[in-house]
Amino acid sequence: MVDKKVVGLLRKAVGRDNVLTEPAELLLYSYDSSTARGRPGAVAFPATTEEVARVVQVCAQRRLPFVPRGAGTNLSGGSVPAEGAVVVQLSRMNAILEIDARNLRAVVQPGVVNLDLQKALAPRGLQFCPDPASQKVSTIGGNVAENAGGPHCLKYGVTANHVVGLTVVLPDGSVRRFGGKSLDPPGFDLVGLFVGSEGTFGIATEVVVRLKPLPESAQIVLALFETLESAGEAVSRIIAAGMMPAAMEIMDRTTLEAVEASFPSGLPTDVEAVLLIELDGLKEVLDRQAEGCAAICRKLQARQVEIGRTAEERDKLWASRRSAFGATARVSPSMLVNDATVPRTRIPEVLRQLQEIERRHGVRIAKIFHAGDGNLHSNILFDRDDPNGLRAAEAASAEIFRVAAGVGGTITGEHGVGAEKARFMELIYSPDDIAAQRKLRQVFDPHGIANPGKVLPAEEPAAGAKR
Amino acid sequence: MSGISGSLRRLQAAVGENQLLTDTEAVSRYRVDGQMPVAVVLPQSVEEVAAVLRAAAESGLPLLLWGGGRHMHLGAPCGPIGAVVLMSGLNRVVAYDPNDLTVTAQAGMSLEALQKVVGEHGQMLPLDPPGGASATLGGIAATNAAGALRMSYGAPRDLIIGMRVALTDGSVIKTGGRTVKNVAGYELGKLFIGSLGTVGAICELTLRLVPRPEQTVVLVSAMDLRPAAAMAEALLSSRLGVTSIELLNPAAASRVPGLPVAARNHYVIVIGLMGEAEGIARQERDIRAMSGEAWGRLEGGAADNLRERVGALAYPEAEGVLVRASVPVGDVHGLVAMLSDEEGWLVLARPGDGVVYAASPASPPRVRRVVDALRLRAEGVDGHAVVVSAPAQVKRELSVWGRETANADLMRGLKQAFDAAGVLGCGRFVPGL
Repeated sequence: MVDKKVVGLLRKAVGRDNVLTEPAELLLYSYDSSTARGRPGAVAFPATTEEVARVVQVCAQRRLPFVPRGAGTNLSGGSVPAEGAVVVQLSRMNAILEIDARNLRAVVQPGVVNLDLQKALAPRGLQFCPDPASQKVSTIGGNVAENAGGPHCLKYGVTANHVVGLTVVLPDGSVRRFGGKSLDPPGFDLVGLFVGSEGTFGIATEVVVRLKPLPESAQIVLALFETLESAGEAVSRIIAAGMMPAAMEIMDRTTLEAVEASFPSGLPTDVEAVLLIELDGLKEVLDRQAEGCAAICRKLQARQVEIGRTAEERDKLWASRRSAFGATARVSPSMLVNDATVPRTRIPEVLRQLQEIERRHGVRIAKIFHAGDGNLHSNILFDRDDPNGLRAAEAASAEIFRVAAGVGGTITGEHGVGAEKARFMELIYSPDDIAAQRKLRQVFDPHGIANPGKVLPAEEPAAGAKR
Repeated sequence: MSGISGSLRRLQAAVGENQLLTDTEAVSRYRVDGQMPVAVVLPQSVEEVAAVLRAAAESGLPLLLWGGGRHMHLGAPCGPIGAVVLMSGLNRVVAYDPNDLTVTAQAGMSLEALQKVVGEHGQMLPLDPPGGASATLGGIAATNAAGALRMSYGAPRDLIIGMRVALTDGSVIKTGGRTVKNVAGYELGKLFIGSLGTVGAICELTLRLVPRPEQTVVLVSAMDLRPAAAMAEALLSSRLGVTSIELLNPAAASRVPGLPVAARNHYVIVIGLMGEAEGIARQERDIRAMSGEAWGRLEGGAADNLRERVGALAYPEAEGVLVRASVPVGDVHGLVAMLSDEEGWLVLARPGDGVVYAASPASPPRVRRVVDALRLRAEGVDGHAVVVSAPAQVKRELSVWGRETANADLMRGLKQAFDAAGVLGCGRFVPGL
């Protein structure tokens, strides 16, 4: 816990009732959706940019670490506090400040839940493109911090492509505006640098996002395959045919079994892969595209191919994918989530290596991936009560990172580095690369109080690190 | 040690023989704003670029990075140039697997050359910068140069997913990677994109590609400003998904040869459509239903050529003044309307991005008033206006970048962190950088 004086100052900054210090209360802010844990010193609930600035000023004056927190859905420990840090909980800042349809922009506070923004936009025929799987709970502030992705990145890009302005409280407690509703402000691209900084450059307190019209219509193609490789091959051929689906998702048999056990949809569980293709755009185009995708799947001996044209049919086909994460979590006591990402053409060989890894470490890996952009989600199932369970899962995960790095991929496609992957950064970055990133961080946070211990590895490079 | 000759010796040591030119004929080709470099250096590898940067930093020699020379009009008046670093020796494709829809190429490669390589596999890099296809990838990245396609495909900052960059400490760093999704570490690449070569030398880039569209069409119509702007606004918020929208004032329209409609001293709207034939047929039908005006139509290569000629309006003429304003999308109409009384100014607006180019072929005495008015109006709606090009002495009179940014301290910190010796960029970027 932080000392009494600090508690007093935090209470003064945000109001008496908006600071938590009781150990039982603090416990709730000591974890996120990863396996990382860390006990905060206090939790503050600011309601305005000025209150966030005051909280950060209290921290800055004492070089006390702080960590911004939204919904806590982070899968890499990014929102887990350094020991004794002040958690800046942004859930009270959940207002959509402006939907500026004419300018195709919205201005929102960081605590706005992604799906709530989408619901506010949809009646106007608009959307904010990033829609991570966690969108029912994850917040825009968190999406900005993580440069969140989702299933639609191949066609629509990541969060960084859709954020044009920010109000930020820097780690020295000053309030800044980066960018705005118009593009290309002179000088360095501060908005671009801030997005994806995982809370280590400060706290975004207002976000200006770009809006796009919703697509007119969509169709879903679902295909069942006897091998994961043929599902992957279908994805490649669809790209080669010049089509750009909004999403292409593959689930393996382990995932499918879990889904059918929890949320039966009538899909057979004796196939090795399900491929879901979402096409969107003008209705005149979709029929031919859907038929084209279906034909490619059939040619690759898909056992069954279905096309969903109505909203009802689409929802039915998407249902299994949407429930996959939850269903997998239900069949396994614990799950370690790995989102290593590889160039799409390397997927088949990486899949073979994943099978090897499963065998070698005696773990099961439920594989769901955004095949369009090479983003694998290898959910490593283990039993936390088994003393060797977590160890085996972590060893398997580390090996997946190595495999991905070896084929020119990356250790994380959308979940962030956080606390869990900082030590794996050296698999893909040289000491010079990391030194340059450290320089960047020091410009924003010279005293290292913003979410310390995240993103970059500890200063001493590990032995045998990439040179 | 005599300053400049010592610096040149160090530069010579950084590259091979015959890669450092100091003869008048060679250096005079690389004049910027009247400044002539002392030397021209031609590195042939990423490592040599890094060695050149390091040598310059150690001896305080100002460097100007030079790709295809298509963007040298940009920025504040150029300060003294120690050496021009010619990046054209780095012009290879490093990695390309079409099924990845990404390509990795060296910075000195021209956009044209890259399009040729990926075009053979039915793909394209969806960028149409004002400098045209002879611009190099590095130059396009360093200036974040984009054209009409930006509203659908994004700018270089959106399409570049990884880079190798040489720094002034002699290191070569990697930013990003080769996957579209990658959140490992910071978005450090964003520091270099659009930075006018002030913090490092972009040597290699990995870019997102898209399949070449089955069909390309442009629709062109002449009308009054109000209906043209209303049409643009309606298209932007519709689900029709047109690829590009450009608006030309009568003076600009008169400069574009081969328009498929008679401009009749009206504003001209140019709508780009790319995609499957069925989709384009539908888009055309809807657009014609939205406006009863006559529409001219071009397809395929003719459509591409017209878009190119229109895009050339965003590229400066030698003696003229070119200004670019950036405002919220909805304010484009007002800005264009404001310029309608300015005789002789050519206006090209891209409503989808909130970008307005205004060019005066000569530098009239009234240029300052027009620039000030444009700037005032843009800044009033949270936008800005920059002078893209002007004769050096006019640049000095106008403030090229506009008012000082509120975050000058942060930006200076970034400059200090990556170019402490202050040898990169020759003072063309935002003051202090």
